[in-house]
Amino acid sequence: MNQQLTRSQRLSRLDVKASPYLYISPFFILFFIVGLFPLVYTAWVSVHDWHLIGGQGEMVGLTNYIDVLQQPNFFKALRNTFSIFLLSSVPQVLAAIVIAYLLDTNLRAKTFWRMGVLLPYVVAPVAVSLIFAKIFADQSGLVNAVLEILGTSPIGWHADPFAAHVAIATMVNFRWTGYNALIFLAAMQAIPREIYEAAIIDGANRWRTFFSVTVPMLRPTIIFVVITSTIGGLQIFDEPRMFDTLGQGGADRQWMTLTMYIYELGWGAQKSFGRAAAVSWLLFLIIIAVGVINFLITRSIASSSSGKAGR
Amino acid sequence: MSTQMSTPMIEQLAGKGAARAARRKLHGVDKRPGWLTYGALAAVVLISFYPIWFTILLASSNAGEIARNPIPSLIPAGEFLTNVTRVIESDIKFWTALANSIIVSTVTAISVVFFSTLAGYSFAKLRFRGSNGLLVFVIATMAVPTQLSIVPLFILMSELDWVGKLQAVIVPGMVTAFGVFWMTQYLREALPFELIEAARVDGASMIRTFWSVAMPAARPAAAMLALFTFVGSWTNFFWPFIILGSANPTLPVALQLLQASYFKDYSLIMAGVVVATLPLVILFAVAGRQLVAGIMQGAVKG
Amino acid sequence: MRAAIRNLAAVACVGALLTACSSGNGTTPDATQSGSASADPNEKVTLTVATFNEFGYEELFEEYMADNPNVTIEARKAATSNEARDNMNTRLAAGSGLADIEAIEIDWLTELMQYPDKFVDLADSELDGRWLEWKSAAVTTEDGKVIGYGTDIGPEAICYRADLFEKAGFPTDREEVADLLEGDWDTYFNVGKDFVAKSGGVAWFDSASATFQGMVNQVENPFENSDGTPIPLSENDEIKAIYDDIATAATDDNLSAGLAQWSEDWTNAFQTDKFATMLCPGWMLGVIEGNAQGVEGWDIANVFPGGGGNWGGSYLTVPEQGANHEQAKKLAAWLTAPEQQIKAFQAKGTFPSQVEALEDPALLDQTNAFFNDAPTGQILAERAKAIEVAPFKGPNYFALAQLVTDALNRLDVEGTDDAAGSWDKALEAYNALGLS
Repeated sequence: MNQQLTRSQRLSRLDVKASPYLYISPFFILFFIVGLFPLVYTAWVSVHDWHLIGGQGEMVGLTNYIDVLQQPNFFKALRNTFSIFLLSSVPQVLAAIVIAYLLDTNLRAKTFWRMGVLLPYVVAPVAVSLIFAKIFADQSGLVNAVLEILGTSPIGWHADPFAAHVAIATMVNFRWTGYNALIFLAAMQAIPREIYEAAIIDGANRWRTFFSVTVPMLRPTIIFVVITSTIGGLQIFDEPRMFDTLGQGGADRQWMTLTMYIYELGWGAQKSFGRAAAVSWLLFLIIIAVGVINFLITRSIASSSSGKAGR
Repeated sequence: MSTQMSTPMIEQLAGKGAARAARRKLHGVDKRPGWLTYGALAAVVLISFYPIWFTILLASSNAGEIARNPIPSLIPAGEFLTNVTRVIESDIKFWTALANSIIVSTVTAISVVFFSTLAGYSFAKLRFRGSNGLLVFVIATMAVPTQLSIVPLFILMSELDWVGKLQAVIVPGMVTAFGVFWMTQYLREALPFELIEAARVDGASMIRTFWSVAMPAARPAAAMLALFTFVGSWTNFFWPFIILGSANPTLPVALQLLQASYFKDYSLIMAGVVVATLPLVILFAVAGRQLVAGIMQGAVKG
Repeated sequence: MRAAIRNLAAVACVGALLTACSSGNGTTPDATQSGSASADPNEKVTLTVATFNEFGYEELFEEYMADNPNVTIEARKAATSNEARDNMNTRLAAGSGLADIEAIEIDWLTELMQYPDKFVDLADSELDGRWLEWKSAAVTTEDGKVIGYGTDIGPEAICYRADLFEKAGFPTDREEVADLLEGDWDTYFNVGKDFVAKSGGVAWFDSASATFQGMVNQVENPFENSDGTPIPLSENDEIKAIYDDIATAATDDNLSAGLAQWSEDWTNAFQTDKFATMLCPGWMLGVIEGNAQGVEGWDIANVFPGGGGNWGGSYLTVPEQGANHEQAKKLAAWLTAPEQQIKAFQAKGTFPSQVEALEDPALLDQTNAFFNDAPTGQILAERAKAIEVAPFKGPNYFALAQLVTDALNRLDVEGTDDAAGSWDKALEAYNALGLS
């Protein structure tokens, strides 16, 4: 027990102790170079009066933050962001699980179906914005044309905030549902087949298997998708920007999200880099808060459902 | 130990004929799905495919037709090749952009998969001090909005004298928080401790264990990550636009120049979109086959 | 452990190798020269020129390089002016990376003129009087520093649908239409009211905010005093009057088709006879032709309410960041000479801002087949000369103009508010800007 360790044993110890840190270091090194510097820079900018072109002004402490929190546009952006986020994430995650479950079966031409659902992810933004503009145009769009044929009045997709949120959420869901479905699929593939076979021998049908076997075993993946969807969903930028040609989020800011607000403050008419940086940090804190909440909710729901499944 | 072997295993051991016979007696996990499943999936794929179809429709038309009929007919018109030729021959440095995009996306994808799997393996299976905190830190970095980081990042690239060079696009994307998070949580579930123990007991070093045990187990997730990263990098516009510009463009930056006039000729622009999307579709066909894990399952458990 | 390092190194090497193979195209400006007059004029130099949209300079670059063999011109291009602006703002903020010559649009001047030290003084007594007075005044600071050379402008006339005019019993010949609309905005709106009463559903113009843009460009101090301080919106009687006029015309009198320009609805409206006239700068002609393919009846009248108006236009600037000030200045001066601008005009239709060019037969003889063979060159040249007022645009011009534009869009396009309510929201938004 008290033998001197041999050299190879000592190296092996070092290997075990140091390897984990070595393996995670590429991420952290890269982050410290290209991630941390912008972070610190933005924090530094947010406490100054800083014009994008003019450059650094004087240090104003928390004035930018206070200013921004008094702007009605900030709260409109907050409302819009959450609305679009909920309208997109919730249906997306549910649909993604169901689609993944369907893809997990013994289909013919598996690759075709699996890759087929990912196609929306690769369609270029210019095409997506054109197509959805044709679908959701207020006067000449497809949906309103159909509504007229059906006898109901047309919807102001670019006028009414909620309608705009629904339209944008549709664009977002279109792009990301297949992506999330494949994430679930990969996780489902890791579930050992024996568990399914045992359940089937026990007499469970497809739906029972889904709820009692698949979903509980997917719990970590569900948490993963909820967290990444939360983070991504609260930062939605491309789709609402593409919703009209001005990219402002509507004359009454009906669909301007917080990231669009950041862009407008920093790059738009005001060019107030300081205020934009303040909103960036506020958004960061909001995302962390909501992310933690979502994580706790999902964890408790998922564990309670696996608890019910029993053994 | 179940006596029921999965049909892929039967096919491997006893040939296609036996597999076909077994499939006819299918029940349980390998049962072929019914019409409802195919129907639902067909609906999903149709909806997914529609925008690409629409793009092809526009790309095979011309500007006049598009102006006259906002929603073109359901069949392509026939000028597709003309428009694609126009795209390739226009003044946008097409071939340079294509080559650049291939290089950038491939290097980024390989790099992200490798470093993310490495980090994911550590977080998932190796016990070390601070691992929980560090993982949370990694996830938190995803929450930072990127609209303003363009300026500090540009300053950095300027200092390194990388403005206009491909490194400026590749290096910031070489390992992503998403990738690390994804591989961590996948490996946690999909890589049993027993396999690692077995390798360690056999005297393998840490890196050897990683290479021979973790990487094969991570294959479906790694394929997925490679695919996602490649596509994300391929379609990325804003940062490459700012840092590379039209002088040394990637494909989205070059194709954006097709919109450089007050009147937008969508037949040309959409032909550009089709050209940019085609390599990805080919990639799908190739990479999609990697997403099947099944065969290993039975073998491991015996 | 050694294997780990070897693997990492391998990946890094592959990456570096691949990027090294392809990075030959990127050039960085030579940062050692701090760009001043001591350079030998015949020394080899590479000039980067950044433009956007279509300036029509491709052949001009070839010509200059042939005449000046020591100069190599590298063109950089952005598709839209917004992209170019983001790019320029990033590089200004970062302090490096700008081209030797950067094209800017007139809309960017309000902020760039606040930082004239970022640009080289291009003042040159030999070039006095080359451009229209209001064009060069906009880039001249109070101290007489000139930060840009004018390229093109967007003089406006009125484009109209002769076929829809005919159906409503209005004159169709462009000279008659010019007489009909001769006057100020009240004239334009009154004729419009008459038209709408007889047109059976066709609106008079496409967009209230676009029309507002034309009206506000004739006001001397629309949103700010000449010293740069903003006029509080609640005290801005002139703009309020204009707002009331256009709001009444658009919604009460139904003159507006309620479209947001460049939107899908607006593009499709060209095919469905939604409106009969619109404010028409030179560069809009191509857009109308493209969107209205197959529609016959577009024409252009040599008239503009209030005399003349300008929409858009660009300049070439020489950023201080660059390394080759003298050579860049020389190239910019050459590119913006009347002869060269005419060539650019012939290539891509950019309407010249140079006084001599406006007399050039190549310009004056130009006709446009889609617009009923109208002498567009001549019409627009006359409209350009009719421009009297260049509005003062200070640092907050666009933020303030946006408030009123948003108010009009709420009213006209989105229909979320009535005129009074929308104006109140604009006042609230003004207070939120925190300017006074």
